[in-house]
Amino acid sequence: MIKLFSMKNQKKDGSDVAKQGTQKRASAAQLRITKDINELTLPKTCDTEFPDPDDLLNFKLVICPDEGFYRGGRFVFSFKVGPNYPHEPPKVKCETMVYHPNIDLEGNVCLNILREDWKPVLTINSIVYGLQYLFLEPNPEDPLNKEAAEVLQNNRRLFEQNVVKSMKGGYIGNVYFDRCLK
Amino acid sequence: MKVKIKSWTGVATWRWVANDDSCGICRMPFDGCCSDCRLPGDDCPLVWGQCSHCFHIHCIMKWLQSQQLHQQCPMCRQEWKFKE
Repeated sequence: MIKLFSMKNQKKDGSDVAKQGTQKRASAAQLRITKDINELTLPKTCDTEFPDPDDLLNFKLVICPDEGFYRGGRFVFSFKVGPNYPHEPPKVKCETMVYHPNIDLEGNVCLNILREDWKPVLTINSIVYGLQYLFLEPNPEDPLNKEAAEVLQNNRRLFEQNVVKSMKGGYIGNVYFDRCLK
Repeated sequence: MKVKIKSWTGVATWRWVANDDSCGICRMPFDGCCSDCRLPGDDCPLVWGQCSHCFHIHCIMKWLQSQQLHQQCPMCRQEWKFKE
C-alpha cells in the first residue's frame, strides 16, 4: 500500500521540482531551527535579537538576571547554528565580558549541553535555560575562570562584591570589565 | 431491490503507529519524512529502540554514526539497541 503511494508521489514530483526551481529548498538545519524559534518560550529575563531577520542561524540572546549574584546585569550571547544542527550543538559565545567561574574572558562558555552532553532532541530553549541557570548558580567545580571560581569557593562575600564591581565597570585584579548594568 | 455495482474506487490511508507525533531529532511529523527526504512511507521509515523511543531511521543513524564511544538514545541516554 505504502509503495503505491510512493509511486504516485514520485510521478507528481516532476511538477514540484519545476515549482521549486526559483526558491532553494531550506536545509535540514534551517527547517529545524525554524521550529525551535517558533516554539521558543523565553523566561521573562531573556530576549532574542535577530540582526538579519531572514537568517535564523545567527542570532543573539540577551539575559538580564533578576535574582542572584548577577541581578541587574545585561549579558549578550551570540548563537551560530551550523549546517549539522541538531546533530551538533550551536556555537555559543558570551559577547559581554563577565566575571564568572564558567565563562572565560574570551567569552567561551562551560555548559555541559553545549559540549559533551549535547543530544539532538535538545532545542534552543534548552540552551537558554542552561545559560540562565549559569547566572543563578555559578558552578565553581568546573571552572573556565579559575580565579573567579576560587573566590566563589573560598569567600562568597568577596565573590559577590567582585561581581557587583565588575558589572559597574572596573578592575578585578588586573582585568578591566566594562560596565554591563541594565 | 437489486443493485449492480458498475465500478468502485478503493481508498486507503496509512499512518505510523508511534507513541509520539514527531521525531525528536528533526521535529518533523512521523507521518511526514525527515528533513533530508521528500517522500514519507517506506522511503523514510521509523525505527524503534529497545528503550521504546522512536525516530526516523535517517535521523537516528546520522546521530549514532556521529557518536564514537557510546551509542545512546538521544531521548533517555540508555544504550541504543534496535528493537527487532
